[in-house]
Amino acid sequence: MNTDIRNSNYTTQEKLQILADAAKYDVACTSSGSSRRGGKKGELGNAEACGICHSFAADGRCISLLKILMTNHCAYDCKYCINRRSNDVKRATFTPEEICDLTVEFYKRNYIEGLFLSSGILRNPTYTMEKMCETLLLLRTKYHFNGYIHIKTIPGASDELLAAAGYLADRISVNLELPTEEGLHTLAPNKTMQNILNPMGKVQSTIASHRMAIGKSAYMERSGGNKFLNAGIFSDASKKHFSECLNVQKKDKAISQNPQMNRLESYKKYTSLDHALTRENANQLAPRDMSRLKRSFAPAGQSTQMIIGATGESDYTLLQTTQALYQGFDLKRVFYSAYIPLNEDNVLPEIGTPPPLLREHRLYQADWLLRFYGFQAGELLSSEQPNFNEMIDPKCDWALRHLEQFPVEVEKASYATLLRVPGIGPKSASRITYARRYGRLDYASLKKMGVVLKRAHYFITCGGKQMYHTPIEVSYITRQLISVDKKDLWNTQHANESFTQMTLTDFGVC
Amino acid sequence: MKIFTCKDRLEDIMTCIYDAWSEALLIGHDQIQLKKEPVFQQTIFDEYIHVDQDLSKAEKVIRSIRRDISDEAYLNIYLVTLSVEEDALQAIYNFLRVGFKIGESVLQQYADPRVMRILELRRKVSNESHHFREFARFERLNSSNVYVSHLEPKSDVIMLVGRHFADRMPSEQWMIIDDNRKTACVHPKDGENYLRYLTDEEFQTLRKTEEYEDEYTDLWKTFFHAIAIDERKNYVCQRNLFPLWKRKHAVEFKK
Repeated sequence: MNTDIRNSNYTTQEKLQILADAAKYDVACTSSGSSRRGGKKGELGNAEACGICHSFAADGRCISLLKILMTNHCAYDCKYCINRRSNDVKRATFTPEEICDLTVEFYKRNYIEGLFLSSGILRNPTYTMEKMCETLLLLRTKYHFNGYIHIKTIPGASDELLAAAGYLADRISVNLELPTEEGLHTLAPNKTMQNILNPMGKVQSTIASHRMAIGKSAYMERSGGNKFLNAGIFSDASKKHFSECLNVQKKDKAISQNPQMNRLESYKKYTSLDHALTRENANQLAPRDMSRLKRSFAPAGQSTQMIIGATGESDYTLLQTTQALYQGFDLKRVFYSAYIPLNEDNVLPEIGTPPPLLREHRLYQADWLLRFYGFQAGELLSSEQPNFNEMIDPKCDWALRHLEQFPVEVEKASYATLLRVPGIGPKSASRITYARRYGRLDYASLKKMGVVLKRAHYFITCGGKQMYHTPIEVSYITRQLISVDKKDLWNTQHANESFTQMTLTDFGVC
Repeated sequence: MKIFTCKDRLEDIMTCIYDAWSEALLIGHDQIQLKKEPVFQQTIFDEYIHVDQDLSKAEKVIRSIRRDISDEAYLNIYLVTLSVEEDALQAIYNFLRVGFKIGESVLQQYADPRVMRILELRRKVSNESHHFREFARFERLNSSNVYVSHLEPKSDVIMLVGRHFADRMPSEQWMIIDDNRKTACVHPKDGENYLRYLTDEEFQTLRKTEEYEDEYTDLWKTFFHAIAIDERKNYVCQRNLFPLWKRKHAVEFKK
């Protein structure tokens, strides 16, 4: 294996081809969460809180950041990964200057919003991370680049490097990859759960201390509606309940033999904020020379991603892990990546197995329900029903199981109640709460406000009346809702098939 | 019915509203309509009145909106004046009729169709401006070190787009050209943006910039194609998020 970082066998274009191709399986490409004005003479770049997508690739995913690997040489042998040591693929390495040059020139042409830098393991984690930090430092200082940077940290790198990365980047992330210790053990023998959660915990407490030091709350900002959602995962009650559960588990020794509980143990270690949130600790991860950069520590927070469909986890496990990550590590986002079989291995799905796109879609829907709608993982799924219904989305599914709470009167219901109605989202719910202060509502105005009536009308009354005379009956509404989404569903499931009309040439005529 | 018409610029529109409103005080609001020029099909029995801009009148209208309704309302109206929709002017007028009656809280009365229409139009304009912030592509002219971008927006959003780039690239020289309206938003190095109405000659010269070769365009295309996952190909999704009409000047889609 050629580990010389200055190999010059390939041109920049070929390297870009290889290293972008190798990076495409990383999901997160968001440039949101950081808001920074530019406008300073001689500098380049700013960051928008909403994030900006610059293009959309043939798979419909957005291209926001220059998503590349620094190198696809790798010392590890994770079974699911295309770049694993035992695979015979083209290998290349970018020098820090090449990456900076590409980023800045692409940025000036408005092709991208910033850099997403990840890497295979070159020699060892610390060496790789050092090179990555060198790149970022060069970009921030020599090239005066003030745009968005997302860095994937390498599990196992030293704390100093982790800190440097945090100061230089906007968002920092570690891939959890698989939600269970066993899964990780089978598929990624070089990684351990501890190795991944350790940096995550450190980054989280450093972010929290930094936020406290500049007068913000210790927790990341969440969508505004969350302050009205007392049952949501970001509410104070729920946070308290979460930490109580952890304490109970700690005492209960019997449970600690269960690997999943073990994991929660380690969450606890890094989530007890009481010792961490002091001004002195704000610098715990920070080497001194970073302060002159005058940058805040990972202002866009951290994120992670999990592979779905490579091992046998249920949706319930995934969603619970997601919730624990939001509550325990205050992650900004958790991403899911439908597993695409790339390698031949008897513990993995066969090559050619279609990626579980619908399942991924359902998980993202549920993720939104957690972050914006005030649902908890336990409400959406349970150990009796561990997987999502393929036919019907998680919110409708929940509503059908709780028909006793419906219909809801839109002129009276609280914001939190409105949000639980299928077809009403944060925007339309808040519009309803404003509009009804000034006058009566009707179905036409609800439609204008953005309520999706084809789903909502089974569950609401407006001014005491239903839209149509429909029974509130599980089997009836289920039947109706399934037919509403049939077409979209088919499209998601059959996204990769293409059919064309037969022509005479197919039969060899003419 | 009297129909007031005016050119598609902020001052003209505000003056038009002023004149129409004072006429309405005599004959009633329902006897008045407002239209943007050019009017393609005239009706026989209506009287058409062209209004030219008068800065003092425009000033008065803007002042009243900000004082009697709110700054937020004025921002909404300003964005709607940029809209390409036929009924934008009439929508502003209708909105002002409720707005002056109710005051500040009017923007939250989502159940009123006149308010909803203004918010809808505003959303369209600001969405379009956001999209062109995303999809604008600059090309570097090596000879003069200027970055040029061509856009064909429906609404008149280049100044909004330009404001975003002024914050982003203050120390570069660039211009954004609206190919439909033949206007350009020009940014001199470390200076302020300004709007320029291009002459035909200037426009023809600037038009050719897209034929220049930019070395990074090829690299960008390589990246663009490498980053897509074949197993997940979904052109419908791609078209929903990046409609064809917005792709006209996006280099990655050019052969």
